Amino acid sequence: MKLKLLVSAFAAMSLFSAAAIGQSVAITNARIVTVSGPTIEKGTVVIRDGLIQAVGADVRPPADAQVIDGNGLSVYPGFIDSLSTAGLPTRTPQPGGGGPGGGGGQQAAQQAAAQAQQSNSNYRAGIRPEVSVVDDLRAGDSQFDSIRNAGFTAAVTVGRTGIFNGRSAVINLAGDSVSGMLLKEPYAQHISFATIPGGYPGSLLGTFSALRQMFYDAQQLQEWRKGYAANPKGMRRPPEDKSLEALIPILNREMPVVFNANTEKEIVRALDLAKAFNLKAIIAGGQESWKLTERLKSQNIPVLLSLNFPKRTASASPDADPENLSTLRFRAEVPKTAARLAQAGVKFAFQSGGLTAANDFFTNAAKAVEGGLTKDVAVRAMTLSAAEILDLNDRLGSIEAGKIANLAVVKNDVFASDRFVPYVFVDGKLFEQKEQPRQGGGRGPAAQRGGGNTSSAPATPNVANVAGTYNLSIDAPGQTLTGTLVLRQQGDTISGTMTTQLGVVQIAGGKATAGGFSFSATAEVGGTTMDITFRATVSNNNLNGTIDTPQGPVPVTGTKVP
Amino acid sequence: MKAKVECKKAKRFIDLCSFVFICGALFSVTAQSDGSQQNQTGRAGTFAITNARIFTVSGAVIENGTVVIQEGRIAAVGAGVSIPGGAERIDGKGLSIYPGMIDAGTNLGLAEIGQGANATLDTAEVGSMNANAKAIKAVNPHTSHVNVTRVNGITSVLSRPTGGIVSGQATLINLNGSTQAEMAVEPIAGLIVNFPRITQGGGGFGGGGGFGGGGQQIDFNEAVKRRDTQIDELKKLFRDAVNYGRAVEAYAKDKTLPAVPTNLGLEALIPYVRGEKTIFFTAERDRDIRAVAKFVGEMKIKGIILGGQEAWKSADELKKNNIPVIYTHIYSLPVREDDPYDSLFEAPAKMHQAGIKFAISTGDQGAEVRDLPYQAGIAGAFGLSREEALKSVTLYPAQILGVGDKMGSIEIGKMANVVVTDGDLLDPRTNVKYLFIEGRLLPLTSRHTELFDSFKERKSSEIIP
Amino acid sequence: MNMKRVIQYLTMAGLVFAGSLFAFAQKGGDVLIKGATVMTAARGTLENADVLVTNGKIAKVGKGISAPAGVRVIDAAGKYVSPGIIDAHSHSMLDAINEGSIAVSSMTNVGDVLDPRDITIYRALAGGVTTALLLHGSANPIGGQSTTVKFKWGHTVEEFPVAGAPPGIKFALGENVKRSNFTPQPGQTPRYPRTRMGTMEVIRDAFLRARDYKRSWDDFKARKTNVPPRRDLELEPLVEILEGKRLVHAHGYRSDEHYNLLLLADEFGFRIATLQHALEAYKIAPEIAKRGTGASIFADSWSYKLEAYDSIPYNGYILWKNGVVVSINSDSDERMRRLNLDAAKMQKYGGVPEEEALKMITLNPAKQLGIDKRTGSIEQGKDGDLVVWSGHPFSPYSRVEITMIEGDVYFDSAKDVTMRAELAKEREALEKLEMNRAPAAGGTPPRLPSERRSADRDEADRGNNR
Repeated sequence: MKLKLLVSAFAAMSLFSAAAIGQSVAITNARIVTVSGPTIEKGTVVIRDGLIQAVGADVRPPADAQVIDGNGLSVYPGFIDSLSTAGLPTRTPQPGGGGPGGGGGQQAAQQAAAQAQQSNSNYRAGIRPEVSVVDDLRAGDSQFDSIRNAGFTAAVTVGRTGIFNGRSAVINLAGDSVSGMLLKEPYAQHISFATIPGGYPGSLLGTFSALRQMFYDAQQLQEWRKGYAANPKGMRRPPEDKSLEALIPILNREMPVVFNANTEKEIVRALDLAKAFNLKAIIAGGQESWKLTERLKSQNIPVLLSLNFPKRTASASPDADPENLSTLRFRAEVPKTAARLAQAGVKFAFQSGGLTAANDFFTNAAKAVEGGLTKDVAVRAMTLSAAEILDLNDRLGSIEAGKIANLAVVKNDVFASDRFVPYVFVDGKLFEQKEQPRQGGGRGPAAQRGGGNTSSAPATPNVANVAGTYNLSIDAPGQTLTGTLVLRQQGDTISGTMTTQLGVVQIAGGKATAGGFSFSATAEVGGTTMDITFRATVSNNNLNGTIDTPQGPVPVTGTKVP
Repeated sequence: MKAKVECKKAKRFIDLCSFVFICGALFSVTAQSDGSQQNQTGRAGTFAITNARIFTVSGAVIENGTVVIQEGRIAAVGAGVSIPGGAERIDGKGLSIYPGMIDAGTNLGLAEIGQGANATLDTAEVGSMNANAKAIKAVNPHTSHVNVTRVNGITSVLSRPTGGIVSGQATLINLNGSTQAEMAVEPIAGLIVNFPRITQGGGGFGGGGGFGGGGQQIDFNEAVKRRDTQIDELKKLFRDAVNYGRAVEAYAKDKTLPAVPTNLGLEALIPYVRGEKTIFFTAERDRDIRAVAKFVGEMKIKGIILGGQEAWKSADELKKNNIPVIYTHIYSLPVREDDPYDSLFEAPAKMHQAGIKFAISTGDQGAEVRDLPYQAGIAGAFGLSREEALKSVTLYPAQILGVGDKMGSIEIGKMANVVVTDGDLLDPRTNVKYLFIEGRLLPLTSRHTELFDSFKERKSSEIIP
Repeated sequence: MNMKRVIQYLTMAGLVFAGSLFAFAQKGGDVLIKGATVMTAARGTLENADVLVTNGKIAKVGKGISAPAGVRVIDAAGKYVSPGIIDAHSHSMLDAINEGSIAVSSMTNVGDVLDPRDITIYRALAGGVTTALLLHGSANPIGGQSTTVKFKWGHTVEEFPVAGAPPGIKFALGENVKRSNFTPQPGQTPRYPRTRMGTMEVIRDAFLRARDYKRSWDDFKARKTNVPPRRDLELEPLVEILEGKRLVHAHGYRSDEHYNLLLLADEFGFRIATLQHALEAYKIAPEIAKRGTGASIFADSWSYKLEAYDSIPYNGYILWKNGVVVSINSDSDERMRRLNLDAAKMQKYGGVPEEEALKMITLNPAKQLGIDKRTGSIEQGKDGDLVVWSGHPFSPYSRVEITMIEGDVYFDSAKDVTMRAELAKEREALEKLEMNRAPAAGGTPPRLPSERRSADRDEADRGNNR
């Protein structure tokens, strides 16, 4: 009950912060990369009521417009991450772009088992296609800060557990309510060739036979229903089976099926299955899809290409074996995949593939450009091509009057390491970020946050000693929560617990900074989970900070217990 | 009816053996063998195999020669030797005479049935330091593996314990005898040390025919630490044994010194740490083999590499420290995906080229030791000369095991472990015609021939509708 | 690199670019092998003979054949040519081997989990193997569906299955299916069956259900029922067995349990295609022969488990003498490379004649797999699946020089050697690339090196190792 109180308080707070309705914004003197048409070297984009009202070299800002001087800036359609876990409370680990064979996600299986929710499905957790991401999505702008600040405005989102990952949604990366964020729901069914040990199917063999059997069973159910609807008398009634029912749209090609398949053999398996059941299939991951361009083209199957490029993570050791040549080749070839798909005429869009730093998305897109992809096509792969694959190109993916005002205003070359995105519009709502003073190698703030491929190991910072026990006061709207924070510290890594009326939160992998600390954690309250990020400064035994919650930031203060 | 069949089969012995003796034994054979065959320890006598091609191994091949076997030893070898009166003559026309083969890396006699019958497994003792465990105390003279192996021309094996770091002491046995004592050539033939290394599946050479690798996965860095710790432990153990030996000796000379309480583990190590007896170190990778060589040099001990996949790469260190190799990987897959397909077939040839002393062994638990000749033959297909291939399973293992003066070749005075075949010893199509161990002529029967004889003429009484 | 080099390189290294590059191999190759001792495995051994392959098929076998224009000639004087070896029991190139969660896993199909880049394929080719029956593991009385493949290393996976090969399925009896070596987890119900009694009941029950299933469809088609029956992937293959359309390959060791299965097949009116392993088949050779069932055996493995204690190397001879079609299999990625020497042992143990022994790794497995019309012997019209040996294939001193499938060379020992330097160069270049460099600091621990590569894979659930 207390949780409810808290949640509703957060919701109320965010309502008041909603953008003013009706006022227009005009970006003037900007280079406008429309994607659907020629780039306008100097022009204006007008945004009103969440839509692009006008775009062109000769467009004048309306009288009421808030004008943004776009001199030296480029306006892009908001970038689309064509497969992510954005908006999901727990960041489920995704099958990394690892080595060959990294697409399956054995971990996913265990999680599926762990997360086996109460369900009346006839099927084991992991083979329940009726699972829908929309039930797990959380509203709120701040959860998307890091990716939105990189220029992303929309994403396909779905969990990554089980064989059937369930139904995805396309969401805008801002919004006060889940319903308001949704662009398309359900979008697609998502399938991983994972295994879910502990019963049938318990092996990769069973994964395929179980999928097939369910497809056939769904076909039969549909037939049966038709017969029953026509004349129920004298016919046994068909069962109501929500799992099988969820498959009917994909068997009727009304809903696409996204297969997570990175390696050649996984992609072949997906293509075979798609062919056998005449599915409207999409390959996600697709890092070896360049080997199968002929088949992809002939089956007219697009690729949501992961930009999570594999790289060696293992440290060197004279006692270790050399890596397999096949692994070395795999890694070397992946950045060239996009160019090869483009050349072969296979439709593709970029996706983050589980990259944790949004910045790496662009770094790796730039590598794809080095690998032979033209910049135009690369931009398209994160805008209009994605919209086309998602069948949202009538409203998303390019800068055209009447389309949704999802825009990214970029300073410097979008593929260069000094790229900076001062303004992002989502549904016409402006998000602004200030460029921070450059440090060292002239990298943008995103790079500083994200680290990733380009970041070199920073020198161990001079960190404060924050270990200890604190009495907390959390200033949630309409209610003040109290609690205790216990921090342990080793170097710049902190762990511990936070206890409030709502329960105990375990802290691991937090970071101490020069003047304070931060950590992210998952609070489990009343059966649901909530991702929080706690940032605070500590001086003279006083703690001051903010807890970022899915519902917005909450101030927190505290004192250290001597 | 059955007896008739078996007597027919036994006909080839009639010239040589007492008909009654052989058939008497075969009458007792049943379908489910009780292993009684192993009690047949053959017949001693003076034998002369004439007109045969003699592969002396130590010297040139002798065409149309004679080998005389007397009192368990080879009494004469040559083209024109005189045959003692009373000798049983075996016409060796069209046949070849070879020294019996020696497999220097088995667990034969310590493991009857690899899976599903733990009671028959005596390869690995509990704990990691078992210097005092002795294979000779567990070898089963009546294992069915003995006959099955020897009828293919393998007359002696080193049987060794596995597991832990110091597994115990191996034994060199002839494949004949009703007691361990009758079998033993060198009852204590060396110490087995699984040289600590970083490897998947808990290291060691253990398992043999079993399914290793199932153990708990450990982290690489942990494994490095564990190896380094284990090498330190091993060094400490060896130094302790040196000190223990010194103290025991001192006390023996001077009883006024404090008495040294007996420590079986250290006591067993004394001859090894003093370099008097040989230690077999299992090791596969170049770096581990080099580590063994370094260890051997440092500790001033006598070492042999057992396993030796990459031993050819460590030739310099092995030669410097006088370390031979017992190679056990003809029947292994190249470990790494990028290894050449023939890397483990070629290893013996490469060792030969590099001047490493080596022998080829099956490394088998027992049942498949009989493939030793074919394993050597395969090495012969991949760069090793046929002569060297033959030596690698006869004279070389004898020399490496320190018994080169008494077995491993057809030479006067050597133990009469002699095999007479109708073809190339290393060819799977070849049949062994006569088999002698320590001069005893053995029946060419085994659990397998018994079962064969029991069933080869079986007719069905079944009526299918 | 010029095109030829590229293709050579790719074939040898297994690095395959877009399938289109390989279009050249689709129709099968042309080649003339001259002056060899040709062991046909059907019509004796021909001295100083030639074999001409055109469009992947054996066009002519005989003396003095001249090469059509542009056809590659392999001078095989002093060498031997045999049919490509066929291994009727392999688990190579499978990403999963057992679906052990259930006693009847007939709905699974190993064809779903093929890995055409498994290095064991190349190593098998280097041992002269061109064709293999890929089987589900032995964790279930009725296991999964099998696939017969040719080892077209370097090609895409869809080119591996042998066109027209009848479908098969794995059955298993004894130790593995009764889970002798598995302790159920606490709280886990032991899987039925736990005895040989239960094993037979599981199989009987499945066939009775398959009969009922068949009837339910017949009734529906005859409009006796109005609800379409559920398409049952478990029972469909069993109906195919009952209809004689699917080959049963039945793993088993003890003769009594194989005999039980033969009786059950009698009862349901189908033929068991092969008894696999069948280490005691010699005890019931006449019963096997009478039913036209084949035996696919190890040459001489024994004593590795209790069930294998009565195995004898004379098994092949006794079966052969009784008229059973015998093949010698490997069930092992390692052993697969030396099946020629396993065949040679059949001459030694009992005295199977040379050609009959050769058939046990060529024509006989082809018969057992229902592909003898197109492969298994060197006869006009059959696929050009050939091995050139440096000497007699039964000699341990011989090695494979060339292995070809349908006239295309998939292994060439000379080229393998020249490739090594190029691969080393390639590695050196690749290791320098950023993505392949070890992190300067930190980083995850490297993989533990291993000293052994698992070879035997058909031990219940051990197969799911990747």
